[in-house]
Amino acid sequence: MMKMSLDPVQVMSGQVKELRVAPSSNGDSRGSWKEKEVFDQDNLGLSTKPKPPKPENAVTIAVSSRVMFRTEREQKVFEQKGVEEYLRYQIEHENEPFAPGPAFPFVKALETVNARLRELYPESEELFDIVLVTYNHAHVGIRLINTINHHNLFIERFCMTGGSSPIGYLKAWQTNLYLSADADKVREALAEGIAAATMFMPDKLTEVSESQLRVAFDGDAVLFSDESERIFKAHGLDKFFEHERENEDTLLEHGPLKGFLEALGKLQKKFYAKGQRLSCPIRTFLVTARSAASSGIRALKTLRAWGLEIDEALFLAGAPKGPMLEKIRPHIYFDDQMFHVEGAAEMGTVAAHVPYGIAQKHNAKQKPGVGK
Amino acid sequence: MVLKYIRLQGFIILGADMVSTVLNTDVNQKDADRAVVVAVTSRGVFESGAEGDEVYKVGTAFPLLQALQRVNERLLEENPGESLLFDVILVTTDLEQQQQSSRIISSTRHYGLEVSKFSFSGTEDFIESLLTNNVRLFLSTDRNEASQASQHGVLSALLDQNLASCPSEQLRVLFCGDTVIRSNISPMPVSQQATQSFSAQLGEMRQRFGMFDSPLSMVLMTARGGRESCSAALLTLRSQGVSVDEAYCLAGAPKGPILSLIRPHFLLSNGLSDLEE
Repeated sequence: MMKMSLDPVQVMSGQVKELRVAPSSNGDSRGSWKEKEVFDQDNLGLSTKPKPPKPENAVTIAVSSRVMFRTEREQKVFEQKGVEEYLRYQIEHENEPFAPGPAFPFVKALETVNARLRELYPESEELFDIVLVTYNHAHVGIRLINTINHHNLFIERFCMTGGSSPIGYLKAWQTNLYLSADADKVREALAEGIAAATMFMPDKLTEVSESQLRVAFDGDAVLFSDESERIFKAHGLDKFFEHERENEDTLLEHGPLKGFLEALGKLQKKFYAKGQRLSCPIRTFLVTARSAASSGIRALKTLRAWGLEIDEALFLAGAPKGPMLEKIRPHIYFDDQMFHVEGAAEMGTVAAHVPYGIAQKHNAKQKPGVGK
Repeated sequence: MVLKYIRLQGFIILGADMVSTVLNTDVNQKDADRAVVVAVTSRGVFESGAEGDEVYKVGTAFPLLQALQRVNERLLEENPGESLLFDVILVTTDLEQQQQSSRIISSTRHYGLEVSKFSFSGTEDFIESLLTNNVRLFLSTDRNEASQASQHGVLSALLDQNLASCPSEQLRVLFCGDTVIRSNISPMPVSQQATQSFSAQLGEMRQRFGMFDSPLSMVLMTARGGRESCSAALLTLRSQGVSVDEAYCLAGAPKGPILSLIRPHFLLSNGLSDLEE
C-alpha cells in the first residue's frame, strides 16, 4: 500500500522498544565480557541452531567488520603503528568483544524477521543470510567470532580475505546487499552490479524498533537511475519539473538498490500470504525530495509498473530529510548524496551513502532546500 | 635403456624397477636436517609434447614449483644462511616415466627449475624412494599414487586440474577446517603426525615474512561447519604453529565458487585431500 503523505506526522506500527547500544561516542570499542570465557568447544555442531540457507535461496547481506562493530580504536592503531602492531593488538584483546557498530541494529532486525519467517515457514530457505565479509587478516578472526558469540548474533558465514579484494567473494555469495565503511570497496561492488552502500557511525543513535525491520530509500539515483537528477543539475528545477511532467508515463530506469527493495517485497508477501499484513515485521519507506503532486507521480508509476510495493512514500518537495527520518526511525536509510546522509546522521538516523550517479561529481555540501 | 649424461653427476644404477637417484648439480643441495622435502611426480610437472621433442611442455604443477621456488628466493633474501627451505625432488612413479628420464632432466634444466634431485623408480618402489628421501609432502595427479603414499605415512595431496591457473608468485596452502583435529586425540595416526609436522614447518616459514607481500599464504576453509568449527580450527592451527592469513567459513554453502577465488596450490587435511566433491 502506498500512502502519499505531506504531513510529517507518521503512523508507526509495532512497539518501539529501547535498543541499548554500548554508550560511548568517543570510539571506545571495548565491551564487557560477562559470559563464558571461551566459546563452548564441545558444541561444535549446528544441531541446536538452525541451518544457514543456501545462498541462491536467501537474501544475502554482506557486512564488513567495521560497520558491524566499532573498531575505531583498532583503526587508529593500524593507521599510526602499522599492520603488524594492529594485528598484535587484536590478538592481545581477543577476548574483549567489540561494541556494536552502525549496521548492528539493522542486522538484529534482520534476525527478528528470520525468526518470524521460520515460525510461519519452517522448511523455507527464503530468509536473510548475513555474511561477514572483511579484508582483515584471519588473526582478527577469533576476536570477531568471540564478539559474534557475545552479542548472540546468528552469523555462521564469513570471508576474511587477508588484504585482497572481497568483491569476488561478494559475487560468489550471490550478495544482495553489501555494507562497508570503505567507499572504494562500495564503488567497486556497485560497478559489479551489487547493491552497496557506505555506512557511517552517527554521533548519537535514536532508538529503533526491535520487532520490525524498517528500511528507507531515497528515490533518484538509489531506487531509480540518476537520469532526472542529471536534468536537474544541468538545467535547474524548472526544467526538471517540465521534463518529469512530459515523461510522466515513461518509466524511470532502475537504480542500484531496486533489487534490494524487490527482495524485501518478496519476503513481505510471505507474511501477507499468512494474513499478517498489519503485523508484518518489514516496512519500507521512500523518502524523496520530489513533490507529491508533480514529479512524484512518475516515481509512483514506475514503482507500480515494477510491481514493487513501498509501504510509505514521503514526498518532501525539497524539505530537509533529517526531521522526517527522525520520525520514521528506519534501521537504515539509503541516499546518494552525502549532504542528506550527514543530515540524517546529525539527527541520529543510521544513513548509508550510495556512491552512484551524477551527484558524486558535485560537492557533498549543498545549500539546504536545494538538491534532491 | 640408456641414460644420457647431460652434464650431470651422480650414481646411476641401470635396470628396470629399481630406484635410481640423480643429483642436479645446477642447484644447491639443501640441508638434509632442516629442508622441507617436497616430491612431485614428473607427470604433474611436465606434459609430453610431440614425439621428437627434447623438452616437455609445462604441466599443471608448474606454477606450484615456481611458487615453491619463489618462497625459497624470498627466504634467502631475508637470511642468506637460511636452511629452512623447500627441497623439491621430481619422482617418476611408473616404468614409462622412468624411461623418459633424460627428457625429464633436460626439461627441468631448460626451465631452470630448482629441483635438487630426480628419483627414477617404477610402480612398485616409488614409495621406497619417498621414504628414503625423507619426503614431507608428495604431490601427484594420480589419486591411487597419492592414496598409496598416504597409507605408508607420507603426507600426500592431489594436484588439481585447476592448478595450472594458480598464481606462481605466492604459494597458497589451504587447510580444511572441518578436519583439523586437536592433538589430544591419542594415539595420533601417522598421517596426522605428518600433516601437523609439515604444517608446523610451513608456519615457521610464514613467520619469516610480514603481513603484506608474503610469498606464502595460509588459508583456512571450513566447508560444513559454522563459526564454532572455524574458531576451533584457527586456535588449533595456532597451537600447531600455523598463523592463518585468510579464513573462509562456508557453513554448507557451495565450495566451488569460493575455491576458484582462493586458488590454492594444495589442500591439507588429515586424510587424502579432495578439492572436488
